[in-house]
Amino acid sequence: MTNINTHAKLALVVDDSMTQCMMLSALLKEENYQVVVANDGACGVEMYVEYQPDLVLMDINMPVMDGYEATRRIKNICKENLAPLIFITSMDTEQSYIDSVEAGGDGILVRPFSPQVFKAKIKSIQRISDLYFQVKKLQQEQQKDAELAEKLMSDVIESRNFALNKISVIKQAATIFSGDMQLTSLCPNGDIHVLLGDFTGHGLRASIGAIPVTETFRAMTKKGFSILDIIAQINKQLCDLLPKDLFFAACFACISEHDKSLYVFNAGLPDGYLFSQSGVIKHRFQSIHPPLGILPKLIINIELAIVSVDASDRFVLITDGIIEARNEQGQEFGVLHFEQAAEKGLLNGDIATKVALRLKNFCKSMPLEDDMSLVDVPCSGWQESESINKANQPQMPETFIVEEAFYNTSPSWSWQLELTDKLLASVNPIPIIMNQINDIEGAGEHWQSLYTIITELFINSLDHGVLGMDSSLKNSAEGFSQYYKERSKRLEYLLDGFVRIELYYFPFSHGGKMFISIKDSGEGFDIFNVLKSNSYAQDKGLNLSGRGIELVNQLCDTLDYQDNGTLVSASYVWHNIKH
Amino acid sequence: MSVNCNISQENNQVIISVNERFDFSLHQQFRDAYSHCLDKHMSYVLDLSETDYMDSSALGMILLLKDHVDLHSSKLVISKPSDTVNKILEIAQFHRLMTIQH
Repeated sequence: MTNINTHAKLALVVDDSMTQCMMLSALLKEENYQVVVANDGACGVEMYVEYQPDLVLMDINMPVMDGYEATRRIKNICKENLAPLIFITSMDTEQSYIDSVEAGGDGILVRPFSPQVFKAKIKSIQRISDLYFQVKKLQQEQQKDAELAEKLMSDVIESRNFALNKISVIKQAATIFSGDMQLTSLCPNGDIHVLLGDFTGHGLRASIGAIPVTETFRAMTKKGFSILDIIAQINKQLCDLLPKDLFFAACFACISEHDKSLYVFNAGLPDGYLFSQSGVIKHRFQSIHPPLGILPKLIINIELAIVSVDASDRFVLITDGIIEARNEQGQEFGVLHFEQAAEKGLLNGDIATKVALRLKNFCKSMPLEDDMSLVDVPCSGWQESESINKANQPQMPETFIVEEAFYNTSPSWSWQLELTDKLLASVNPIPIIMNQINDIEGAGEHWQSLYTIITELFINSLDHGVLGMDSSLKNSAEGFSQYYKERSKRLEYLLDGFVRIELYYFPFSHGGKMFISIKDSGEGFDIFNVLKSNSYAQDKGLNLSGRGIELVNQLCDTLDYQDNGTLVSASYVWHNIKH
Repeated sequence: MSVNCNISQENNQVIISVNERFDFSLHQQFRDAYSHCLDKHMSYVLDLSETDYMDSSALGMILLLKDHVDLHSSKLVISKPSDTVNKILEIAQFHRLMTIQH
């Protein structure tokens, strides 16, 4: 950092009187200024350009060009650089005060004045200009730091999002830092978690929470936690971290391709949308909870919105910056404009571009008041995405199964968890199980399928066994959400019941086998009837229920129901790919 | 654009009203309107009937007011929000945090 005070300063004196010039020069030199002199306004402007002085003293009445005009030109040239300019005059009138300020002067000194008054004036005006330079310098440094930090931040946050190529976005920040954030992440079972969030305000202050939110969102998604668990955790974190008046309006969603359903929790964002291929709004997801980071705990009994989706549907989220964008007349872009633009965009296959264009045409040259974001997520097509590649799944040579699967009869470890009564409603055993497996056997790609199997089997035992839910409810789209309402009601009033999960692990020389057994306290079901009607419905492409078990059947090596359907056992075998 | 504050000791009431735009620029003014009021068991009314616009930092300011009110064992009511303002309160689900009178 250079210190502007260490250099000798340069003053420009513009006056047609030689005596005046000499007198002012002498005084300035006593204050350690170097001095250059011009004898008319036009010459003064030229000298100003040539020397870039730190201070200008300007006479008013001069030949060729008067002091006002010269000042206007100088101030026009140096819009950025505030070299203070003081008028020196003997015209002690109100009008001369007004005119000199109008012309751009920073001060006026009326003759006659004593050397002390002159020096005091110079000092005070120089003090102000020093402050101005300091502020400007700090501002530039801050701008540079902010740009660097923003780059780091967006590298950490959004470049690591899942399937960037599938999701189209609008992201416009009002300042360098955006208070909006968009996250996508892949669950172990192939579902996609999506988040669009908006911190209060904008700029650096609004983006401090972004990193903890990102870390929590990614880590918990990867471990198999549900979105409600993740939301509760992020809420708690932000409540501890953020000042009272700072919060995080966010919408979380889980898109399940194999279940053809969408789970949404909107906490303080404008309505989210589910659009059909033809641009019809199939569902609006209204905000159901205050923004995160306000309450120490989520409000209980607030339920996720659950809807069934078609493969060609699109899920769209926006922040309030889009709705509240203003034009020159002060009108808001508004919900209606947005919906029309989104519908048009959908028909052309690109919502983000169309909405961005409409916004631009609407706001014209108005500066952005708030960050604006939009995410447009397809409801299918994830299977082709980078990390879920079925072709890469381990293939099992037939002989291998016969030899090892039969002769290795004792497991290297086994593990059991029994959840009873109220705990069934509050504890999600899946992350616990996956943690156990990861702790003992290390991380592995094949756990993805195992996760799906255990999740589906556990949910089946809980829903249809313990809670006695009838999955045929899920056959219609309305029944679908009714099903989930009924389910959470039964969970809430659940008094007794249990689900017991047992795992047995058999290591092979190039892979292994996991044997899973899940027993529930339910009444059981007619196994043959259910399997038969499911496969019939599936052939006809009719059925919304029973998809889970079909998937498990594909992934498992063996799948058996016993004890009248209250005990299910499955085995999953994998073969390690040699690197 | 301004914040007005009326304190009536007899009724134990503090009425704060905000005209036109309620945004970050009012931060200090808004805080000054109530911060000196340290009496307990007061009833605070935030009158938003004359407010035509409110941004998310205004929601933050309301949360700070709520904090102050809770700290002094008092009550807070948001009174008569205009349609635009009400939409913003609704999106933020503020009725779950405090009383809103229409």
